[in-house]
Amino acid sequence: MLTVLVISAMAGLLGALTGLGGGSIMIPVLVGFGVPVKYAIAASMVTIIATSSGSAASYVKERITNVKAAFYLEMFTIIGAIIGATITALIEPRLLYFLFAGFLLTSFYGLSGHLKEEFPKDVKQDRMSKWLELQGSYYDQAAGKQVDYKMTNARLGGLGMMVAGLAAGMLGIGAGAFKVSIHELILKMPSKVSTTTSNFIIGITALAGASVYFASGLLFVGLAAPMAVGTTIGAVAGGRILNRFPNRIIRYLFLVIVFALIIQMIYKGVTLP
Amino acid sequence: MKKVASEEKLELTISCILIVGVIASVAMEAIGILGYYNSNGNLNIIFRPEFALQGADFFTYSGNAFFQVMNGGWTPLQILSLGIIVLMMTPYVRVAASVIYFGLVRNPKYLIITLFVLIILTASLLVH
Repeated sequence: MLTVLVISAMAGLLGALTGLGGGSIMIPVLVGFGVPVKYAIAASMVTIIATSSGSAASYVKERITNVKAAFYLEMFTIIGAIIGATITALIEPRLLYFLFAGFLLTSFYGLSGHLKEEFPKDVKQDRMSKWLELQGSYYDQAAGKQVDYKMTNARLGGLGMMVAGLAAGMLGIGAGAFKVSIHELILKMPSKVSTTTSNFIIGITALAGASVYFASGLLFVGLAAPMAVGTTIGAVAGGRILNRFPNRIIRYLFLVIVFALIIQMIYKGVTLP
Repeated sequence: MKKVASEEKLELTISCILIVGVIASVAMEAIGILGYYNSNGNLNIIFRPEFALQGADFFTYSGNAFFQVMNGGWTPLQILSLGIIVLMMTPYVRVAASVIYFGLVRNPKYLIITLFVLIILTASLLVH
């Protein structure tokens, strides 16, 4: 448990620094230590509730998170997560190693992200988004102004979130980068609203996935408990020191970590007896 | 204006639920880990069925664990389990609080949306 606690704290720290999230790092590392992949996924799913809820609490209080958009999108992510977790509980473990490696490969896409406009302008709201009251306003400290925004494409956004929920439930991760892309590219949320709303949704998505792992008997308390304590400590520390690191170092760190994790998961999948 | 003010109330309530839930569960898990070490002399993780959270649906399991701890018949493993239960209950309670809020402010759209989420989660947690 002590080993899990220490590596979870490191994973939480690196997850917060690189934006990968604790789960994406934690699962391959645990697998490297010989933990069966399904147990690692199930425990990670519960751990995510802690890190997501912890940081979501302050963003909701600061009124950056759009809670209405979150409630609407949660309808889709929970269904995706339940289906995803059910698939994981049933399929051959070997497939999960390769799926995880595939998911990590897609996270390289995140490096090229965030080049787009931070505050989408002239968004023409569709009828459904209007009906769902998908709009809001928050004070942006960096820009020093009040930002008003409107969302659109509620239907397509919901569908995209179901896919994000499926990936999250299946791999025991938050799939935050995927959710943020849907929020920004389809729903046209401003960046800060997008990341904080994604964080808020991750807690519910993780609970939906965790409920399936609970029912499947894959949730081991001795694994999940030190992971939750470790990643929470690591994420809090990571959030505090994030601004002290130059972006270039963070990018290199991200590349090295993701590359190592991909190799590790493929190796495990190939050598699995 | 009134609507904005009351939504702020919901956001503050949600924020409170999340922070209290996370702190309580992490504290319980930390105490449970120390207790586990104290009684076993090691912190080995054992992958045997009795170390998994299972045997009943989530709500029955949670009720049993809670009453056992309340009646003093608890073990470090039960404290650890209770920590996980509190953690899983945290987002569930915030959905339930949102349902009550949208019911109180008579917002039928979001009452249905949050109720849908609550029903799906409840059904999923009832499976075992």
